[in-house]
Amino acid sequence: MRMRLKLKTVFVLYFTVSLLGLIYALMQLGQRCDCRGHDMSKDQQISQLRGELQKLQEHIKTSELAKKTDVPRIYVITPTYARLVQKAELTRLSHTFLHVPHLHWIMVEDAPQPTLLVTDFLAASGLTYTHLHQLTPKDRKLQEGDPSWLKPRGAEQRNEGLRWLREMGAAAEGKEAAALEEAVVYFADDDNTYSLQLFEEMRYTYRVSVWPVGLVGGMKFERPVVEDGKVVRFHTGWRPNRPFPMDMAGFAVSLRFILTTPQARFDGDAQMGFLESSFLQHLVTMDDLEPKADLCTKVLVWHTRTEKPKMKREDALQKQGLGSDPDVEV
Amino acid sequence: MPKRRDILAIVLIVLPWTLLITVWHQSAIAPLLAIRKVCHHLVKEILIIPERLTIHRQRLADDGTETRHETGPATDSKEYCSQDKDIVEVVRTEYVYTRPPPWSDVLPTIHVITPTYSRPVQKAELTRLANTFLHVPNLHWILVEDSQRRTPLVTRLLRETGLNYTHLNVETPRNYKLRGDTRDPRIPRGTMQRNLALRWLRETFNSNSSQTGIVYFADDDNTYSLELFEEMRSTRKVSVWPVAFVGGLRYESPKVNAAGKVYGWKTVFDPHRPFAIDMAGFAINLRLILFKPQAYFKLRGVKGGYQESSLLRELVTLSDLEPKAANCTKILVWHTRTEKPVLVNEGKKGFTDPNVEI
Repeated sequence: MRMRLKLKTVFVLYFTVSLLGLIYALMQLGQRCDCRGHDMSKDQQISQLRGELQKLQEHIKTSELAKKTDVPRIYVITPTYARLVQKAELTRLSHTFLHVPHLHWIMVEDAPQPTLLVTDFLAASGLTYTHLHQLTPKDRKLQEGDPSWLKPRGAEQRNEGLRWLREMGAAAEGKEAAALEEAVVYFADDDNTYSLQLFEEMRYTYRVSVWPVGLVGGMKFERPVVEDGKVVRFHTGWRPNRPFPMDMAGFAVSLRFILTTPQARFDGDAQMGFLESSFLQHLVTMDDLEPKADLCTKVLVWHTRTEKPKMKREDALQKQGLGSDPDVEV
Repeated sequence: MPKRRDILAIVLIVLPWTLLITVWHQSAIAPLLAIRKVCHHLVKEILIIPERLTIHRQRLADDGTETRHETGPATDSKEYCSQDKDIVEVVRTEYVYTRPPPWSDVLPTIHVITPTYSRPVQKAELTRLANTFLHVPNLHWILVEDSQRRTPLVTRLLRETGLNYTHLNVETPRNYKLRGDTRDPRIPRGTMQRNLALRWLRETFNSNSSQTGIVYFADDDNTYSLELFEEMRSTRKVSVWPVAFVGGLRYESPKVNAAGKVYGWKTVFDPHRPFAIDMAGFAINLRLILFKPQAYFKLRGVKGGYQESSLLRELVTLSDLEPKAANCTKILVWHTRTEKPVLVNEGKKGFTDPNVEI
């Protein structure tokens, strides 16, 4: 009898404990809804922290870009010439360059002296720049109506850019000289399109680095073909037997090699399509090329060309002396 | 022999525990812990910000559609929260090449509507356009593809820019009786896409809300200066300015009198149009768009050059126009056009690897 009584009490006790436990657990789960309130404050905390984080990152970014001196400098040489779309081209190009840390823009005008348009533009751009000019001799200049491929363009201007770099390199000393040792030189035409990733790919170039270029050579893209990490040949639709069948936008050269190879210049008399080769063959052989852009499988730069705007109405008006206000800079 | 009483007792003991355990499993204790983790992580990040640290935020909405605040994928992500159906913040760290300026609570948002279509230069155009937009604070890019489905090229590009965007698409019906790939000539290019964007704006924004916004139609091959966006931000109804390289002129511009009001159009091509202005030459306050929900670009029967008028005449009159860009004397936008690239060497079968995206 006693045994039964004990068992009963045990059962009752057990029951009560379980029941209490269950009620407690259910309340916990129910309290989850209350925890939503708790969650809310956590959410608020999170968004607050996130906001703080973003502000700090912005701060870093601006100071990063402004003073980022611990990455190699990129010198971009851009030949340019006066035409209707010049300001537009330079404007959108500058928007791209403003995102690239430690970039120095060398603008070389095909003009007898620096023009007001480019001078004012560069001053307002917010970029670090050098403004040069070099006039193409008349016999090498394209005439009205000539197809764009008839004569190599920009050779004199790019050589002027190289000359300035060499002059600067010779005069530099100490920390500046050390910075120049690591710098990279890129030839960027003012009508191409550049992705931001491209500049990070070219930043660490030992000698000459290469990558694909889109919309050039009559094809969707041209590129070096890479096997085992080395360039073995070039994929191009036109004259693949050139020493370097690449576009100007498809390679970058380390400044160190430019400074130590004073004979490396562009040959303004070079045959059509051989301008790049005339420069690169002084510097490097195909084996030594460094492939970038995922072993030359990604297109990060496009050889876009801008249409010449139709001016027939303007021309008609000009004849009548009623052309649009020439003081308005376009 | 188990007595009924004993069985009953056992059942009564076991039942609540099994119930408890199953319910406990399904309960959302996990999010609680996750949120705590996210919180800790964020605090850690703030305290030890490495030099090249950036953060992408991705809100996984329940329906998985592309929301305005979606940003890039990461090859190297640290996910702290479980893949719950709840809105969960995933914090990823990855070096990004750029980021738009921080969102301001004060500046009106500029909603830029860009119709686009697939062609070889598309990625290049959108890339350099994005590079420009990344400098503009409070910009919301509404990119509308002329396609049956949103293409992976554009989807990926938008994510990688880090911009605040909305990705839409609508296909302009083609008239196959004409040459293979021409659009119905009676529907000007981009019209359906711009109208879709206007409809999206009207569906997304409540006309009673205090959200300030400006709507601008930006084609993907034009060139925009950064100053332009700051000029248009103060638009009350519709603001206008000169555009270069349109109408066969160096630039077309509104005629502004001494009182600062627009009274005509300085164009050669049909200056008597109600609004002789290019798509890139005006911006509309969002409130006006919401206030007149029937105003759309006319689809058919629109004469060349009258497209802009078909929308603007339902919104404003000439005297309501606000001239910008120093009383319409400065050029801040150029109607550039990109040459169609010569692809002869691709030949009939295509020479280059079609898997490489250009």
